[in-house]
Order: sequence, then structure tokens, then C-alpha cells
Amino acid sequence: MQKLIASIKKEFLLLIYDKVGLLLMYLMPIILVIIITIVQDSTFKLVNENNIELLIVNNDEGNLGDTLISILEQSGTFKIEEKDGFTSKEIQKQLLNDNQMLAFEIPTKFSENLKEKARILSTSMLTEFGLFEEDSSASTPLSISPLKMYYDPVLQENFRSSIVNSIYSFLGALESKLMVEDLYAQMGIEDAPQQMESQFTENRMEIQQISANTSSNQIIPNSTQHNVPAWSIFAMFFMVISLGSNIVKERLSGSFVRLQTIPASFSLVLMSKIFIYLIVAISQLAVIFLLGKFFFPLLGLPSLTLPSNLLGLFVISFLSAFSAISFAMLVGTYAKTQEQASGFGAITVLIFAAIGGIWVPSFVMPEYLQNIGKISPLHWCLDGYYTLFLKGGEWNLLLPTILFLIIFIFVCQIFIYLKLKIQNYI
Amino acid sequence: MNPIIEISSVSKTYKGSLEKSLDDVSFSVTKGEKIGIFGPNGAGKTTLISIICGIIPKSDGEVQFYQDDSPILLRDMLPKLGYVPQDFSFYEELSPYQNLKYFGALYDIPQKKLEEKIDHLLNVLGLSKVKHKKVVKFSGGMKRRVNLAIGIINNPDILFLDEPTVGVDVQSKNAIIAYLEELNKNGTTIVYTSHHMNEAQEFCNQIVLIDKGTLIESDSLDNLFKKYDEQNLEHLFLRLTGIEYRD
Repeated sequence: MQKLIASIKKEFLLLIYDKVGLLLMYLMPIILVIIITIVQDSTFKLVNENNIELLIVNNDEGNLGDTLISILEQSGTFKIEEKDGFTSKEIQKQLLNDNQMLAFEIPTKFSENLKEKARILSTSMLTEFGLFEEDSSASTPLSISPLKMYYDPVLQENFRSSIVNSIYSFLGALESKLMVEDLYAQMGIEDAPQQMESQFTENRMEIQQISANTSSNQIIPNSTQHNVPAWSIFAMFFMVISLGSNIVKERLSGSFVRLQTIPASFSLVLMSKIFIYLIVAISQLAVIFLLGKFFFPLLGLPSLTLPSNLLGLFVISFLSAFSAISFAMLVGTYAKTQEQASGFGAITVLIFAAIGGIWVPSFVMPEYLQNIGKISPLHWCLDGYYTLFLKGGEWNLLLPTILFLIIFIFVCQIFIYLKLKIQNYI
Repeated sequence: MNPIIEISSVSKTYKGSLEKSLDDVSFSVTKGEKIGIFGPNGAGKTTLISIICGIIPKSDGEVQFYQDDSPILLRDMLPKLGYVPQDFSFYEELSPYQNLKYFGALYDIPQKKLEEKIDHLLNVLGLSKVKHKKVVKFSGGMKRRVNLAIGIINNPDILFLDEPTVGVDVQSKNAIIAYLEELNKNGTTIVYTSHHMNEAQEFCNQIVLIDKGTLIESDSLDNLFKKYDEQNLEHLFLRLTGIEYRD
């Protein structure tokens, strides 16, 4: 026991004297998790909280351009700034020089085109119903001038697509309203009931979003629930720089050689390393979780909701930590120099994080990359945490993660043993 | 007197090498001796000590330890074996006290006895004033003394030292040799390698000379001087190993 305590104490001292390693293991992930969560939360707010600034140049000779602008304003999604008489070049210049990212140019024949389209549609419908005789003009293709959207080239494609889809939906409502008005007019009824017209633009069918989860706790997926577990895993695996280098340094310093001439088991040294770094990993988790729970709300970020399956949280955290330690020990055992251990280790963790879905969700990746990502231990750790933090944390959903991590740990430890055996340390 | 270590026909060929680093080396060590293993660079001195201490495996031959004239396994001998490697083999981030405390605990030395031993060693080797300072800031000579202190923390019966005085000033060298003399007087058998022939001539009473992995001579210093009609170990060394460079 005295040997084990001495060995653990030595590991602890080496750890606390490694200031750079401590900074990398604690401060870096804290900064990362705060920044990334703020960034993702801001993106969410940008789309959902009336923050999209939209420049509109309304060249419409009729009144429907104004109606569309009014619908967009009422939607609560956009902050609209109207500019009169801007040419295409002036709009583009405005986007490049100002902070605005998006502009729409409503064509001169916008009202005329929409009304004509509504007339054709309503005529077709009435003809179909046998109320009108066939009108050849209804089948003539209509030439409609497009709405033009100008955008800052730095704007990402998925963001542009969501704006375009949003405008399409508002346009659709306007077109439907016009069609109904025209139907009434063609049937000789002077005005469509006001209530019906407003149904198209105001009382739109809501889409209720329900996150699939097996817990009785209502967990709302948000940037905190996604980022806190993801970056905690990243932090644990980044200990490869400290632990990996520590092992190489110990080996190169000859301390391992001296151990061969001392009546102490080498596994004692490994056990004490595992023990100390397990504490490090669990404390990393605790620090980041506490930040998510208590500090994030002070920054205006959503607070972290802990999963109801606390035993599951412990098991996944323990296995994730042990996986990170095993990986770091593997790198440290095989690396020939400290530079190799920290360089190779850091790059490998970055690659594992990228393909494992830490930075961007795996489901947005091509299928082949999603399959490759399954070799990443970070993917499985994240999968386990998502099951706990977002899906309710049922054991049958956690089982694949638990199995993979146990296999990963076992394989790493086997390779560590083989290398140490070859080097005559064991 | 019966040997406490018997080295019989030990050979070593490293993986990927065609040449033998050690070829059929045999000699024995008896209790209380101060044996010096000498040879030019690359002769196989470190390889030989490493094989005897079980750090690297031998390719052929046998190393047998004895305790009270009975064969004993190396593993059982380890508590009474000391090893001072040529390289600094300790934790430079820790202090001499922390290093000694750690390595001493690995020998299962009781706490009180260990504290006393640490104090004694730090005092004798002139490290008391810096016992809580990080070793990384020490001079080469101080590091050598820390390296030695760790190797003898367990009061070894047999002490192996691989060039313990390389790269140190005269003061540190004298302190180290003086303490080794004291250890030997108290019953510790010493096996050591060095390139300092004057130091070796004063310190050793038994000489093992190897070159290119082969044993050239193994005898007492007096017998060798008589045999070759020499009075200086360095001259004898050059006579037996030649004057050409060994890089």
C-alpha cells in the first residue's frame, strides 16, 4: 500500500508542477465551451429572435410589394430597412460596405404578376368545377419577373436557404390570399370575407417541435445541452498532451529503467497514473458541468439540465475518462519523443473530434464519413452523453456506447502491455 | 571465497545488429569486492551491467546471484541491489527529498527509517540545503549526487554504478568516491564502470577489462600489474585495448 500511495503522490506532484499541462487540460476547454456555446446560441437567436437585417428595394408599381413587406415585418423574423430607387449595383455596394448581409429587390411587375397568376389559377379551378367555359389564356405559361435576393458572399449557404424558404412561405400565403380574392371576384361576389383573407397570412398552422426523449424530465435541446458534454469529452482527450508527454519523459529520463531494478511492480506505476488522471478527467467534467449549470445563465446562455439517469452519467463519464487515459497512455508508450507524443496526440484528438461530431453534428456529414467517425472514441463518448443529456438516458440506448468504450479501453491496454513487454519493462 | 554473482558465457546481440555487443563474457564477483569494469567506448560495459541487473535480456549465457552460498533469483535479490545508471534517472521536476521519498517507498522502507536515511544521505552528499529545491535547477555534479543517493537509498548489498563520476567537478567526484569507500567498508559490494583510470586505480581492487564485447582480462589489480609489469592502470588499459579511436 505504501508503494501505491507513494506512486500516486509522485504522479500528483508531477501533475501540479506541469503548469502548461494543467492550463491545457482545464482552462482551454473552459474557454472553448464558453465561446462555442455563445457563438451557437447567437446563431440560434439570430434566426429566431428578429435579428436578421433585411434591406428591401421595392420597385413594385402596385401595392403587393408593400403587402409582402408588411407580412415580413409582422412575422417577427426580420428587421427591414427600405431603400427607394436603388439599382442592382447600388444594392451590392451597400451589402459590401455595410453590415447588412441580405437584400431583396421586388420587381416592378410584382403585383401585376402575382395577380395574373392568381387569376389564372382561380380561372383554372372554376373551369375544372364546370362553372366556366375553358379559357385558353389560363393554360398559357406566365412570365414572372423574379424576386432578387442579394447576399454578402460570406453568408453560408444553409443560412441563405433558410431565408429563401421563409420568404417562399410568406409569398405562398400572399398568393393564396390573392387567389381566393380572385375566386370571389370571378364568382361575382364583390369582396372576399375579411376573416378568410386574414386566415392565410395570420392564422398559420403552427408546427409544434417535440424532442424525442425517454425521460420524464422535459429536456430542451439547446446550445448548452449540446456543447457542454461535447467539449468536456474534448477536454478529457486533450490530456494526451500532458499524460502522453509525461510517460515519454519518464521513459527517456531513465526512471522506468531504474524501476526495473527496484522490487516494485510496473503495473503500480501505471495504476497510479490511471488513478490520478481519472481524478483529473472527472474534475474536468465537474468544472465544465458546474459552469454550464451556474455560470452560463449569467452570460445569458441556457442553463445545463443534468440527466435524470445519474448512474448512467457516472458510468459514461468513467468510461469516457478511462478511454481518454488509455489513449493518452498508448500514445505515450509508443511515441519516441515528447514532441511526437504531444504533436501526434493533439492532431489525432483533433481528427477524432472532427469525425466524431464534436464540432459539427455527425448527421450533416457524408455517409462514408459518418461510418469512419464510428472509429473515433469521441464519437461514442458523445453518443453516450447525447443519450443522457438529450434523449432521456435509457440503459438500452447507452449499451452500444458502453460496449464500444470497454472494447476501446481493452484494445489500448493490450497494445500498451505488448509495447512495455517488448521493451522489457514488464 | 564463494562468489555472490557468477556471470557465465554471457552474450548479447541487439535486434537488427549483426555484431555481438557481448561475446561469451564470464567472470565472478565475490562479497566485499570493488570491481571496476573498464573498456573503451562501445566496449559493452553498460550492456553488461544492464544484463546483470535484468534491465535488458541476454541473448545467451547465465547470470546467477547467490545469497549465503545458495542460488537466488534476481527478482528476490532486488531489495538488496542498488543501481546507479549513467543517465540521470529521476524526476527533475521533483526535489531530492521527494525523489528519495518516492524511490525509498518503493523499497517498502518504513517511514521513520526512510526519513532518517534520506537525512543522512542528503547530509553526506552535501544536498541538505537544497533538499526541497527542484533538481532541474541543479548543476551536473549535484544531479550526479542525487542519482547516487537514490541508488543507495535501500542500503544495498551489491551496488552497480555506471560511470557515476562522469562530467562532475573534482569536489563532487571526491564526495562520491569517498562515500562509495564508506559503503564498501560497511559491506557493500561495488561493481562500477568508469573512464577515469586514476580514480579507478585508487578505488578498485578487482578489474574486468572488455573490448569489442570480449573479455580481455579479469583479475585483481595487483595481479594484473604483476602480470604486465605495469604500475599505472591507464598505461595498462592502452596497452591492452590499443590507442586508436573508438567512435
